[in-house]
Amino acid sequence: MATSEHTSKQFEADLEGIRSHVLQMGGLVEAQLGAAIDGLASGADEPISRVIDNERRVNGNEKEIDDAIVHVVARRQPAASDLRLIMGVSKIVTDLERIGDEAEKIARMARQIYGRGALSIPRSIDVRQTGEKASMMLRRVLDAMARLDTAEAERIIAEDKLIDTEFRAIVRQLITFMMEDPRTISTALDIMWAAKAIERIGDHAKNIAEQVIYIANGTDVRHGGSASETEKDAP
Amino acid sequence: MNGMNMNTATASAPSAPLRDLGAMRARIKSGILRQQIFAITGILFTSFAVLVLLAAFLDLLFDGLPRLSWDFLTNFPSRRAEQAGILSAWVGSALVMLVTMLAAVPVAIGAAIYLEEYAGKNWFTDLIEINVTNLAGVPSIVYGLLALGLFVYHFGFGESILAAGLTLALLILPIIIVSSREALRAVPIHIREAAYGMGATRWQMISDHLLPYSRGGILTGVILGMAEAIGQTAPIITIGALTFIAFLPPMPVTGEFPFLSLQWVWSEFTVLPIQMYNWVSRPDKAFQLNAAAAGVVLLAMTLMMNGLAIYLRYQVRKKIKW
Amino acid sequence: MVTNLQERPAQHAATQIKAEVRNLNFYYGEFKSLKSVSMSLEERKVTALIGPSGCGKSTLLRCFNRMHDLYPGNRYEGEINLKPDDVNILSKDVDPIEVRMRIGMVFQKPNPFPKSIYENVAYGLRVRGVKSRARIDEQVEQALRDAALWEEAKNRLDDLAFNLSGGQQQRLCIARALAADPEIVLFDEPTSALDPIATASIEELISSLKKKVTILIVTHNMQQAARVSDYTAYMYLGELIEFGETDAIFVKPKRKETEDYITGRFG
Repeated sequence: MATSEHTSKQFEADLEGIRSHVLQMGGLVEAQLGAAIDGLASGADEPISRVIDNERRVNGNEKEIDDAIVHVVARRQPAASDLRLIMGVSKIVTDLERIGDEAEKIARMARQIYGRGALSIPRSIDVRQTGEKASMMLRRVLDAMARLDTAEAERIIAEDKLIDTEFRAIVRQLITFMMEDPRTISTALDIMWAAKAIERIGDHAKNIAEQVIYIANGTDVRHGGSASETEKDAP
Repeated sequence: MNGMNMNTATASAPSAPLRDLGAMRARIKSGILRQQIFAITGILFTSFAVLVLLAAFLDLLFDGLPRLSWDFLTNFPSRRAEQAGILSAWVGSALVMLVTMLAAVPVAIGAAIYLEEYAGKNWFTDLIEINVTNLAGVPSIVYGLLALGLFVYHFGFGESILAAGLTLALLILPIIIVSSREALRAVPIHIREAAYGMGATRWQMISDHLLPYSRGGILTGVILGMAEAIGQTAPIITIGALTFIAFLPPMPVTGEFPFLSLQWVWSEFTVLPIQMYNWVSRPDKAFQLNAAAAGVVLLAMTLMMNGLAIYLRYQVRKKIKW
Repeated sequence: MVTNLQERPAQHAATQIKAEVRNLNFYYGEFKSLKSVSMSLEERKVTALIGPSGCGKSTLLRCFNRMHDLYPGNRYEGEINLKPDDVNILSKDVDPIEVRMRIGMVFQKPNPFPKSIYENVAYGLRVRGVKSRARIDEQVEQALRDAALWEEAKNRLDDLAFNLSGGQQQRLCIARALAADPEIVLFDEPTSALDPIATASIEELISSLKKKVTILIVTHNMQQAARVSDYTAYMYLGELIEFGETDAIFVKPKRKETEDYITGRFG
């Protein structure tokens, strides 16, 4: 965002409103994810139902922000940094909403897993740790967005690979369990779904980080492009 | 033959490249040449006109200047050329002008405002318009005849300053009306609308805006009209101005109550052009020089008035931009 | 925007109609240039009139201060009722001067009088017979402040108005209209003679003025309507095609004609 103010105070207020609304939505999604992971780890019913109840609020936020974006575009014809903010935020909102969906998915899986009663898979499969990593990524990317911190955004993009690696490790472990004892298959599959959701959340966080870089300096780092260097690992 | 040439030329035009730089430059060069020829011809014609005028003016100056002196301005006319002066003539001219101005200016401006701002579009206004425009073209002697009948005999003003002043007022009325209307019309429509938009009445619009903003143009018209009037001879002769006056009209300021007297308007008089005419028609060479000297005075008065008009226009333009 | 969305229902409840146009026809001689126009102006809101050249938007605007009365052969039919007293300002019984005293106007081209800055702003008060120098001083300052011109003009009040820049001149004209405390201010394409920077400052000024006064603005720049107005009316060939909240008109117009115009498919 440009540092100086717009002549039109209303335009300034509109953009600021959208920005803060997105951050607010980000906070809500972050809380959802935290509660979902908590539920997955502990099996407590309260956080799980909270996630499922709040999902509608996340969706409502997405609609409101999209509406505001449409009106700003229709009335103000944003250009340059304003245009990038609007375009970027529009995509970020979609990613946030998806993260919300994934959090809900995790919560539903948790309910299913614990609803079966006796656990046949040891807790040592640490979905929780990976989940917290993803949660941390989300928090940091929201911070990076608030401050338009491109260095932080680039670090977050790199970290997504860690989550992918952990996901593959979880999958291998689950396969081992399932081969040893086929009775664990349904629970293992549920855990796999939850893990997959966490892996997707990492991807969405990475997408948001990419949009932060786009908003800040206009470079498109998606699909292997880099803010600092034009990429070599294209196929 | 020619026609055919042109035909082939136009026919071949589409194939000839319009972007041919050489042809383009040749064409521009010949254009510039023609433009220069016209400019030089124009300068020649203009300087011819100016030179003839200048020669006439210098001739007058050489003849008249040696005769100019304080005495010349303060002496009455005399049978002896070297003692003759133009006192009664220039005082007469000044007083006639005063009457002319007092009579013509309010009437003309009033008429201009009426015609521009109040009069609707109908046959009556059209009639007035046609009259005003055509009056400007009526020969001045005709005004003289009119005035002789109306002012001198019918109203019984006699051969007085009043009659002369009113006659000249009539004469320059169209000039002032036309130039005042021009000046009023020059106030742009968006200024009028701005005034009306603020809730001004028609008269407020006129007095607060139109008149102040067109003041320069109106004044210029007045002065040019006066300059026209001061040189008029024919109508003044027609109404019977005297050619030899060895007295001044009664003073406008008196020693007794009410201290102001209008007696002078009934007085007989002469004016500068008539004095000149009188002297020119004498065989004595010395009187011819007197006439030239009076001509210089008259010319100086006219030039001063024109200069004043230019100065006023400049002053007003400096303060008003739309 | 976001805050707007939340406030919108509340605003709705609070709005009041300031003027109501009912079945307005207008004729230039034989030519009918407004055809049964009906709409309303909300109090302390900005209403924009948009449409192609010759659509009648300026004609409609100029009905509001009876500007058409200045020229012969013009005729009104229908009503413009001014609230709260419900006077039909088009009625022959109402003096156009009274109407113009209640409804101010800012024109297309900045048209300050060739007088001092002070006298320009004071003119409305002089027309209204205000004599007290102190009162005039006070009103002039307030109007210049409202028009965001006070800081630039306070040390040169006796300077001639045309020494100001184009944008400043237009703000002076706005101050001139405001000084007389009008109920409605009409803007007739107020930025068409200005550069983009001056335009932005005039637009911002219009947005801030609606706290005090009801505004009707004609603009051929529909994006300007989108930026400054709360309500927008689209006119074409003397008819009011669509009238509604600006947000709705620019995002989801009801009529195809409106959609075509604002998306540039017109013609």
